[in-house]
Amino acid sequence: MNRPRSAGRGRPLLYTSYAQDIAMFNTPGKRWGVAALFALALLAPFAFNDDVVLILALALVAAIGAIGLNLVTGYAGQVSLGHAFFLGIGTYAGAVLGGDPEATRALAFGLPMVVWIPGAGLVAALAGLIVGPLATRLRGLYLAIVTLGLVFLGGHLFKEARFITGGIGAGRRGAALDFFGYRFDQAGPLLGLDLTRAQKQYVLALVLLSIFAVLGRNLARSGVGRAFSAIRDRDIAAEVIGVGLTKYKVLAFTISSFYAGVAGAVFYSIAGVVEPTAFNLLLSVQYIAMILIGGVATISGSIMGAIFIMTLARVTQEIAHYIPYISTQAIGGGLINVFQLEAILYGLLIIGFLIFEPRGLFGIWFRTRNYWKGWPFSY
Amino acid sequence: MSPKKRWTYLPLLLVVLALVAAGCRAAEQEMQPPEDQEQEPAGDDDAQGAQTDVGVTEEPCPNAVNEDNGCIYLGIISDLTVGPFAPLAGPITEAQAAFWRRVNEEGGIAGYDIDATTYVRDNEFNAEVHNRVFQEIRGEVLALAQTLGSSPTLAILDDMRDDSIVGAPASWNSAWEFEDVILESGANYCFESMNGVDWATEQVGTDISLLHIHFPDDYGNDAAAGSEIAAQAHGIEYSAQETPPGRDQQAGAIEAVVSQSPDVLFITTGPQEMVEIVGRAAARGWQGLVLGSGPTWNPALLGTDAAPALEAMYHQVGPWGTWGTDTAGHQAMRDALGDVSEINDGYTAGWVWSYPMRAALEAAAENGDLTREGLLQAVSALTEVDYEGMLPNEAGNYADEPEQGAFRQSIIAGVDTESETGVSTIEDFFTGPTAEEHALDGPCYELG
Repeated sequence: MNRPRSAGRGRPLLYTSYAQDIAMFNTPGKRWGVAALFALALLAPFAFNDDVVLILALALVAAIGAIGLNLVTGYAGQVSLGHAFFLGIGTYAGAVLGGDPEATRALAFGLPMVVWIPGAGLVAALAGLIVGPLATRLRGLYLAIVTLGLVFLGGHLFKEARFITGGIGAGRRGAALDFFGYRFDQAGPLLGLDLTRAQKQYVLALVLLSIFAVLGRNLARSGVGRAFSAIRDRDIAAEVIGVGLTKYKVLAFTISSFYAGVAGAVFYSIAGVVEPTAFNLLLSVQYIAMILIGGVATISGSIMGAIFIMTLARVTQEIAHYIPYISTQAIGGGLINVFQLEAILYGLLIIGFLIFEPRGLFGIWFRTRNYWKGWPFSY
Repeated sequence: MSPKKRWTYLPLLLVVLALVAAGCRAAEQEMQPPEDQEQEPAGDDDAQGAQTDVGVTEEPCPNAVNEDNGCIYLGIISDLTVGPFAPLAGPITEAQAAFWRRVNEEGGIAGYDIDATTYVRDNEFNAEVHNRVFQEIRGEVLALAQTLGSSPTLAILDDMRDDSIVGAPASWNSAWEFEDVILESGANYCFESMNGVDWATEQVGTDISLLHIHFPDDYGNDAAAGSEIAAQAHGIEYSAQETPPGRDQQAGAIEAVVSQSPDVLFITTGPQEMVEIVGRAAARGWQGLVLGSGPTWNPALLGTDAAPALEAMYHQVGPWGTWGTDTAGHQAMRDALGDVSEINDGYTAGWVWSYPMRAALEAAAENGDLTREGLLQAVSALTEVDYEGMLPNEAGNYADEPEQGAFRQSIIAGVDTESETGVSTIEDFFTGPTAEEHALDGPCYELG
């Protein structure tokens, strides 16, 4: 096809066809950029030690959940504080379907990964489908409060359903990462490379995230995604132009919950053990923070935000240990110890971020890109 | 530069990045001993003569007491900030630091100082965080001087078994009796409850009713399992009720005490919940014998309005004597810790839990094998541990099967306003008939 030169070069904001406008990678820069990032991501497990690789693997899985929350809250504008509930439902669905019956006393069927990952998503999606209609009657803060209720409902359910969750304090093991007999939760060879357990978990997380990120991006740029945005920007106007509010709000909750379910199940199978009090309001807030810090209504922002939040604890830990005097106070002693300092730094970083960069990590990227786009005439 | 040409640099850039990245990991990994080092022909035979692998260096510890000694690193993963056990975990960790400082001041173990302060991590009482920080120190420590929490410890148990890393728990779950890598001390919650109920029947007979109010977690359920076994053995009318943590959450528990009016009330909660339940129930006219599991007491309780009720009714069933007890070990602990701002039996627990680790390290050094594998073998050959009188020596039996090896003795302490911790021993170490006869063929309350 004889494309206009500008299309091939990817002049920003100059689109010569509709197909080009909505293409997944609408500029070569994006195409190559994503390829380079993916390559970097593949190298990461070889660049860091296993403890960091484990954190990164968990971050990539959390990113799946963050994309889910961004679909319902960022794209469709339905504020949900109930994400922890859906994460919990998915986690336990996954653990029951895929848990190793010999390794846990809680209910477990030992099904393979190809069954329990979609299964966890489907069970959570079902919960989303049931909750979704609430969103058609409420919006804004009222919806936030109702979804908040879900977290408490879930908290009670998880505590009481001891045959599934193992009970408070005791907990249960997550699902086994068993792909037709190939274990992603044991060290061993993968594609000719001898990998540790954390490295294999990371690779699995990266593959899953790639799949779900592409699906999410496709959803966002399709008719469904545009309907979501229309509802977010003005729901009455959306209805007037023929967007079915009930249908799309319920769809947003269902899809978001599917993402949450998958993320929860895989997250806790990597983390090892899940305890029923984990799915509290704090977890929901953490996911909200991921999409706020990353960038609302962006897929790449969800991923950046998840990586930021999940690695922040480790980063603050490294920083805290460089601060003189306090860094040696592991226990007791003075006003604060190094662990309390970590917690304070964590809070300060989030506050600082939202004050100085309200558009999130995506905003930083956006400005960097614009700077170089106009370079050397940046102003 | 034409756009085409610009992109030709990309693969080159990636290759460079790949090389840098690979170099990074390799360089870092070299700093930690590889995991399979113990399979090397002779291991490291160092100056002190013992074979070593991970977490033992010939260089002195940071802030070493004996500059000429090598260093054995022990990790601690505790609940140091936001978790529910932070008020106890701080003292536990401090006492362990003091314990090992004392060992070092006495010359260390076989030419090594022991460091239990460099690799201290906070688990926020969260299994996922526990696993994360464990991976961080996994390649740096010989063993864990403390791994706090049941579900958190469960999250790393497989890795501990794989790497032969032994660890001292910071709880008294009956499940730990069945784990080779866990160095538990004292009677578990389950035996503790059995002994408590047996003791109560001696005081008030068996024609009684017993209500056990407990936390809904592993601690509460392990204890409740024990009291139920004992109640059945004695033919006591038994009921149990769960209560959530939080002083303001006890209305249901108080109502249960007042309406059921049991002769004996067993409580397995934290101190705040216990004082609320006993104080309020007493204010509404209930009277009876109160038994609390070890962690239900706190000296500050005597300053509350409920103090008269506690003085009249409360008894603590504990795994060992409280802070002020007169034994050589208790004295050493008090001397080592000096003036602590607030006396708390977290200190006592942290101190006692360290003795088996010391005994295991000494035994391993004597065998000339201070590798992880060697330490685990030393643990599984331990038939007794010198607790300096804080526990009988046979409490440190890790060699026998749980049925023979598990320690079943508890003590009963009563409120004593003269004592520094507000309680003092009224019945020294004893095994009740129920615990004596109980066949320990599995944990009272299983984890995971």
